[in-house]
Amino acid sequence: MEELIKEIKKNIIEVLNLEDLTPEDIENDAPLFGEGLGLDSIDALELIVMMEKEYGIKLKNPAEGKEIFKSINVMAQYISDHRTK
Amino acid sequence: MYFLADNIISPLGNTTELNYQAVAAGRSALRHYPAADAAVPGACPAGAFPEESVSLEPYVAARFSAGQLHDIEINGLTRFEALAVQSARQAIDQAGIDVSAPNVVFILSTTKANIDSLRTGEESDEAFIPSAAAEHIAKYLGFTTKPLVVCNACISGVAAIITAKRLLDAGFFDQAVVCGADVLGRFFLSGFQSLKALSPDECRPFDIERIGLNLGEAAATIVFSTSRSRFRVEDGAIRNDAFHISSPSKNGEGAYLALQAIHEATFHDDLSFINAHGTATMFNDQMEAVAISRAGLSDVPVNGLKGFFGHTMGAAGILETIMSKEALLHGQILATRGFEETGTSVTLNLANVNRAASKKRFIKMISGFGGGNAAVLVHSENRDCISSAKIDHNECAINTHHHIILDSRSVKLDQEPIACHECGRNLLVELYKKYISDYPKFYKMDPLCRLGLVASDLLLQAVSDIPQAVILFNHSSSSQADRSFWATVSDPDESFPSPAHFVYTLPNIVTGEIAMRHGIHGETSFYILPDRDEGFINKIVNSICREKDFVNALVGWIDYPDDEHYLADLRFIRKA
Repeated sequence: MEELIKEIKKNIIEVLNLEDLTPEDIENDAPLFGEGLGLDSIDALELIVMMEKEYGIKLKNPAEGKEIFKSINVMAQYISDHRTK
Repeated sequence: MYFLADNIISPLGNTTELNYQAVAAGRSALRHYPAADAAVPGACPAGAFPEESVSLEPYVAARFSAGQLHDIEINGLTRFEALAVQSARQAIDQAGIDVSAPNVVFILSTTKANIDSLRTGEESDEAFIPSAAAEHIAKYLGFTTKPLVVCNACISGVAAIITAKRLLDAGFFDQAVVCGADVLGRFFLSGFQSLKALSPDECRPFDIERIGLNLGEAAATIVFSTSRSRFRVEDGAIRNDAFHISSPSKNGEGAYLALQAIHEATFHDDLSFINAHGTATMFNDQMEAVAISRAGLSDVPVNGLKGFFGHTMGAAGILETIMSKEALLHGQILATRGFEETGTSVTLNLANVNRAASKKRFIKMISGFGGGNAAVLVHSENRDCISSAKIDHNECAINTHHHIILDSRSVKLDQEPIACHECGRNLLVELYKKYISDYPKFYKMDPLCRLGLVASDLLLQAVSDIPQAVILFNHSSSSQADRSFWATVSDPDESFPSPAHFVYTLPNIVTGEIAMRHGIHGETSFYILPDRDEGFINKIVNSICREKDFVNALVGWIDYPDDEHYLADLRFIRKA
């Protein structure tokens, strides 16, 4: 799980162009949206693309993302439970 | 400015009359289309549509049939160009004007023109750039003046009408042919699918169960003239939300300001209806309802036509203005197809059946990516009380207060060089880190927006007040972002369309980014020209400065063809 968390953080920084951040700056429990990293609705859609491209997880409804992208921990759990690649 | 002639070509017919009859009779162009599935040969009927227009997901849209596409075809022109030519030619013939005269201007409203030629194009091929298409169309039709492309995302059509009005009111031209068009291909379909904005069923504007929009293809043309006729464009305004590049503002700020700018209390009792954008996305329709209510217009009948035509993008503002003008002529308010139960926090005066109306004015409003909102007021005048056309040939005096020139190797503010070492793409990062540094969104932007953000920030650091408007021009549109997005789509086995890249394929996003950064709620406009024609640019800027409430603006040239040849030449100007 440690490895996966590190990888997810790296992927997020890359696909969302969070140039000023390093994986260490992202807390595992902090919310990704709103107060946390200040991500917006396009970022959420971009994360949906990342889920499919990197882990083979297809989210049909963007509203599902709300739950899954709550924090790095929640995301990592969801990915390890549902990944197809 | 007056309506002289018009035309609509949509899947419902190839004249305004046929389109009006179809919609008045409740006929829709929306159809279900299956996904092109590699595993199921023939899932999409072979040969029915151009190869680039097949999609990986099933969708609902308003598309031309194979037979209609065949009728539109013109040898030597692309599908997009031929569609625009067919529509413009009908309107021009009907108007009986000589388009080769120097007092006639051609204005093309489009979001992506020939974008699907990017699929086959070489790196250096510029056919996909909107100004190339505009030149082909204008030449084919016989224009001798330079074509102007209004590229303001979804609001382009209404913005083009407003641009024409200003150029004619200022006396720069006597007639304007305003043509809007877009065609559906893989670029659009995959982009909107990545934004999760498409409804899998027929769209339901303003309804409680609306879940998204349907795309549509069409062309629509209006020939405008300074000579008097029955229908007049009385007023028009463009305002920005300064909220988000792809989500409308929660309080409908830009749309409210646009409505407020064109609506005077004296017209209120004479307003037949408001034709809304009504895309049937959750956020757009809610925003429009709030804006209409804030403008004190909730009692005025509202309608939306996307249930008949889909969202026809570059054509939408023109097509829906023509349909609304016809409705005014026929004493009708057209139905909002797909609407059943109010689904906005404010109740609007909507109906899914045609209603009778006898008043003399309507408002067409529209909103789009980049935070832009526009509205026009159209008046049906009695023959005996037609007011005189207001042509004011006096140029408006403009002063430049500050000036920045930023290219791939150097930057000068008011002729003084700013210290920097890097060049190309890295120069923008260096300038951002050194002189701005507090806006990490910079890193998310495409090259054109990065250039716009850095140049406007450096320029506005020298200015004590915030500009009221942002008016930008270029040649290459958003070619860098177009290629980046296409790279995420083009491989059929590894197609993961990027929503972030797609949004930046609208060049006017740079005006929206600047508006957001500085809280600018005035006009944001983006124009594309065949070349950097200062005379033409000055005419357009001058015609904007003549607006009654104009004070100051950020204006200029901003082009990013590649990392070595970019240029931002921006000015902070004030009305003298």
